[in-house]
Amino acid sequence: MRYTVGVDVGGTFTDFVLHDRTGNQVSAWKQLTVPGDPVTGILTGIDGRASHEEIANFRIGTTVATNAVLERSGAVVAYITTRGFRDVPFIQRGNRRFHYDMNWVKPKPLVKRRHCFELTERLNYKGEITTPLDEAELREIAARIKADPSIGAVAICLLFSYLNPAHEIRARDVLAEELPGLPVSTSYEVVPKWKEYERASTTIADAYLKPIVASQMREMKRRLEEGGQTAPKAVIKSNGGETLPEAAADFPIHLLVSGPSGGVIASRFLAETTKTRNLVTLDMGGTSTDVATVVDGKERFTTSFEIEWGVPIQIPMLDIRTIGAGGGSIAWIDKGGMLRVGPQSAGAAPGPACYGRGGANATVTDAHVVLGRISPANFLGGKMRLDVEAARAATKRLADRLGMSIDETAVAILRIATINMIGALRSVLVEGGFDHRDFVLAAFGGAGPTMAADVIAEMGISTAIIPHNPGQFSAYGFLHTNARVDRQRTLMMTSRDFDAARAAALMQVLIGEGVDELATQNYSSDLEIACRLDMRYQGQNYELELEVPPEIVGPEGAEGLWQAFHDAHRARFGFDNPGETIEIVTFSTVVSARTVHPVSPRLKTGDLAPVPRSRREVGFARGRVDTPIFWRDDLLASQRIDGPAIVEEAASVTIIPPGQNLTVDPFGHLVLNTDG
Amino acid sequence: MRFSRNGYFIEEYVKCSVSGALIYGEPYAEENGRIYADAWCRAWDRRAPGETIPLPRTPARATGQPPDLVMMNILDSMMVSICREMGIQLMKTSYSTIFNEGLDFTCALANVRGEMIACAEFCPTMIGGMPLLIDSCLKEIDLDSLEEGDVILHNDPYRGGLHMPEHTFFKPLFVNGELIAMAVCIGHIAEIGGMVPGAFAGEATEIFHEGLRVPPIKILKAGRDVDEVWKLLLANTRTPRTNYGDLRAMIGAVDLGVERLGQVLAKYGKEVFERTCDDLMDYSERRMRAEIAAFPDGLYGFEDTIEDDGITAAPHRIAVDILVQGDEIVADYGRSGPQARGPINATLGVTMGATYNGVLHMSDPGIPKNSGCFRPIKVLARPGSIANVNYPGPLVAGNTETHPRLANIVIGALSKALPERAMASESATSNNFVFGGQDPSGGSYFACYDLMSGGWGGRHGADGNDCVIAINGNCRFSPTEVFETRYPLTVEVCEMVQDSGGAGQWRGGLGLRRVLRIDDVAITVSQCTDRQSMPAFGLFGGQGGGLSKTLFAQNGSQEWGTARDRFNKVSTSKYANVTLHPNDRVELVTPGGGGYGDPRKRDPELVREDVAEGFVSPAAAKALYGRGACG
Repeated sequence: MRYTVGVDVGGTFTDFVLHDRTGNQVSAWKQLTVPGDPVTGILTGIDGRASHEEIANFRIGTTVATNAVLERSGAVVAYITTRGFRDVPFIQRGNRRFHYDMNWVKPKPLVKRRHCFELTERLNYKGEITTPLDEAELREIAARIKADPSIGAVAICLLFSYLNPAHEIRARDVLAEELPGLPVSTSYEVVPKWKEYERASTTIADAYLKPIVASQMREMKRRLEEGGQTAPKAVIKSNGGETLPEAAADFPIHLLVSGPSGGVIASRFLAETTKTRNLVTLDMGGTSTDVATVVDGKERFTTSFEIEWGVPIQIPMLDIRTIGAGGGSIAWIDKGGMLRVGPQSAGAAPGPACYGRGGANATVTDAHVVLGRISPANFLGGKMRLDVEAARAATKRLADRLGMSIDETAVAILRIATINMIGALRSVLVEGGFDHRDFVLAAFGGAGPTMAADVIAEMGISTAIIPHNPGQFSAYGFLHTNARVDRQRTLMMTSRDFDAARAAALMQVLIGEGVDELATQNYSSDLEIACRLDMRYQGQNYELELEVPPEIVGPEGAEGLWQAFHDAHRARFGFDNPGETIEIVTFSTVVSARTVHPVSPRLKTGDLAPVPRSRREVGFARGRVDTPIFWRDDLLASQRIDGPAIVEEAASVTIIPPGQNLTVDPFGHLVLNTDG
Repeated sequence: MRFSRNGYFIEEYVKCSVSGALIYGEPYAEENGRIYADAWCRAWDRRAPGETIPLPRTPARATGQPPDLVMMNILDSMMVSICREMGIQLMKTSYSTIFNEGLDFTCALANVRGEMIACAEFCPTMIGGMPLLIDSCLKEIDLDSLEEGDVILHNDPYRGGLHMPEHTFFKPLFVNGELIAMAVCIGHIAEIGGMVPGAFAGEATEIFHEGLRVPPIKILKAGRDVDEVWKLLLANTRTPRTNYGDLRAMIGAVDLGVERLGQVLAKYGKEVFERTCDDLMDYSERRMRAEIAAFPDGLYGFEDTIEDDGITAAPHRIAVDILVQGDEIVADYGRSGPQARGPINATLGVTMGATYNGVLHMSDPGIPKNSGCFRPIKVLARPGSIANVNYPGPLVAGNTETHPRLANIVIGALSKALPERAMASESATSNNFVFGGQDPSGGSYFACYDLMSGGWGGRHGADGNDCVIAINGNCRFSPTEVFETRYPLTVEVCEMVQDSGGAGQWRGGLGLRRVLRIDDVAITVSQCTDRQSMPAFGLFGGQGGGLSKTLFAQNGSQEWGTARDRFNKVSTSKYANVTLHPNDRVELVTPGGGGYGDPRKRDPELVREDVAEGFVSPAAAKALYGRGACG
């Protein structure tokens, strides 16, 4: 049992990373994904690389939930809510996505209004029952759902259920009697937090995904086992934790950003091995770029994800911002004569002009090709020959209109693409309240290494790391996941009426739920427990998260807790309001079990300067320069390369402009520096 | 503008007879009792029929170098991202729901000439209002008196402002002792004293009923709080604690803006920064001129009616005549009615902002929003009219009610030039239901500004969106679970109103209906809304949208009546200080949007889907869309 296999099933490629425990070696490769059939790609990709008996376990990132939501191919959901509030998923929050855009169409919820049912029952804002649940009415609703064979799942979201789940639980139990076998999601179990639209939206999405995720998990397990792959399989959740396929099917909403979470986990591990405190990631592919952060060695989480603008999913997941910009982003000239890049993308077909598949628009990749940064002979390890002339012709069309040379235009395209990337990086850092100068950039994905040097130079970051196997970095991250359960619940208390015993009791309940869930996955020892409170000044609407001990109030008493909040507010926003009433809103816990992780293999140290494989003219901001080209596999630890230079490898290219330099660290990561 | 000799107060507000703009210093000319702000206004007044008067061009400040298009793109992205960052911080740190749920604020950057150089997409009224506001304030502030760390506060609607709840903070940015730019933040403070809690006094007849007016003053000097100003401000509100939190949060936002813009200046230097800002404004101007040049030339008039002003039970006409001449627009509100006795008057800032808002809706949304973008648009609003209120006329609802109505008639007028780009009228009201009372537990006073969404108008090719906030704002609606936790009311119903979308080939969006029950404390209620007797207009054969409604029922009874029936008010939509007792209920219904195009041309499949989803009743489908339409 030598191998652990990480598999990241993407739209175009399925990426594999295999860790061989005996020799402590890592290998990575890609396999084309069969559209609509992820399992075949997995089986073909494994074939010949590792024998069945030697695989100890699989860690799989899946796009099943993401795709079902994007393509709107989930189940027909019936929605049950408090009388008077059927329209909450349609009314939403009343704001609109863009100003001044009269063509905007408000997003539709994942449920039809004809399938929404009102139930007589009501709780007040303290969680007290003011109208008891009308059970006869509920059974009538069940009968109507039963009469509609199209309905594949039920979502229940009742007002104030986060304070008292009695009615939701009763409703769930009655439906189980009346509609055996029909999946049900309750808002209390999915996301017990206040704000009914956000909770309803999340619960409906969970129900929407249940049938398709359950069947795909079963199918995946069955076919992998038929193909001889009997090793345990884990799927990766959006919080970067792993879980069993069966458990994932119970709360499929947790799989929404399964794939990209690998890049963040890998970055956390990268931060650990390279002893880097803060990393910001740039995971750039052909059509999109993911940005996330690792702060003080820890990945960061969010509960404000949206599947499209205005359709929120509020479960805790890795905070990953995706922008629609990548190597395929198209350069164009707007009505005022300004050069712009994106958001339109050439995608995979026709792709950039240099793909020679009929794409006429100059893209970011074309600009790299025009400038000689990407070699036409070494794209995807030489598997695809690029058409330089097509790239030049497309760039020339823009150059003529701008009155610039082709090279100048290509440089300008890359500069603007760089600014777009920085915009995404900044917005992530800004919302977290961070200063970019405290961060190191981790650039991966096929296109990340091509942009890293320009991004750090323009943004004022001194260092970027290009990890090994940047093209399969997400799959690599799956080798480093832990089993992890996040639990959260709203219970409001203020510094005036704080009840420490009640707070500690709730924390214990949440910890207990996490421990129980991990026990079902056979993790019961060496559990790590973290407890957090979301707090704010009373009246504020957004909380700061504070790590607290499970008993919440330490020996110094509640005063210490309130002072910790004032301090955190000052650190985050630059001011605090001493003496003000503080409110606790949400309690949350993370229970995790550390799994066996590979140790990062070390690279042999090289004493001599590395030898380039070739040289060519490459365009930079100040013109063309004769530039040495290195092959990454040739490089040894502690070697240094001064720009201008280029490092090529099978799935990516790292560019070192004049004035920057690169060193190879002991693990084979490339470390770019702007400061000479 | 004539100040008293001691400089402490204004003796006379001098306005241009043509544009309605406030004149600081000497007027350009005074003839036959007419006062002119500039040569263009004088020429306009004397033009021959059909003659066009080109707008004055901003003098070229070019240094001879061609604009650096790449640098422009970079600086614009950076500045917009700074403004966004300011806004996000404000959202996260402010205390009142109108800020943190409603996002009723905007953040911008300005240069020392008083031009807005960048802003973030928060509240549109404020974006369009910001250029005049910044310009007016900078005319009044002695720039030489500014020091590093100063913060200026201002809310005076007669000096470039919108209405008194809108508080603006300016913080100057100094580089090496030289004033380079300003970070600006404007936001809605819900409770500012005045005759009703929550400012929206439907029966106000002068500005003093609407709260505390603040001319441009320093609230921080050289980084230190001016305690006297804080004390004065907080002594004049019912909710000092909340106001304190909101004001602090706004100061935090301009602090952040100055810090971040300072970093940009450190990177690129003053010269590149200033030149690129000028280039950027020229660029936006060029883009806007290109948009207008594509509009067919002509004079396009449109009008609508505001049902009453809360004081007099008589309608008020709002009208615009838009002259498209080449790449410029002159929007003349001269046919609008005289200044109203009640609070529906617009300030010049509101009318300019509404005009920009309407034009921006009809043009490319990608134009960077800065002062340059508005140069080719001239707004004429006669002083003393509903479109340009004179001191001390009431105006609190001008910003929330009259703004969207003006923006909608601008769109209506331009629909004659560009039918496929236009939208039928939206609800065009913020509903503005405000209430306050004594907290039963803590004994402190609470106040709530509650706004609601209504239907959008139908558009060429798409139905109006259901339940979206009027286009003057982009606020979010408060969740019931937040609302009931914060205030002693229970929401009994929150639903869309069937059949409220105006019929059309593309129907209007649906309005919203809520029923609120008062829990255990009496509250004082006021409202400023409209469209209770005159619907949102349709276009090109589309029908009007559903009407708005406010009804009251006492102590659990089922007998519902309007504010007129129950409380002897003049208006059903604008009233002040109605007391509601425990178990009383109020029903609030917002208007649906107008329809676009002949209903009989509507795709029968869409009608069937509407009926299946309950957006349209079978009976209405049959009556409005014809036989067989409801399948």
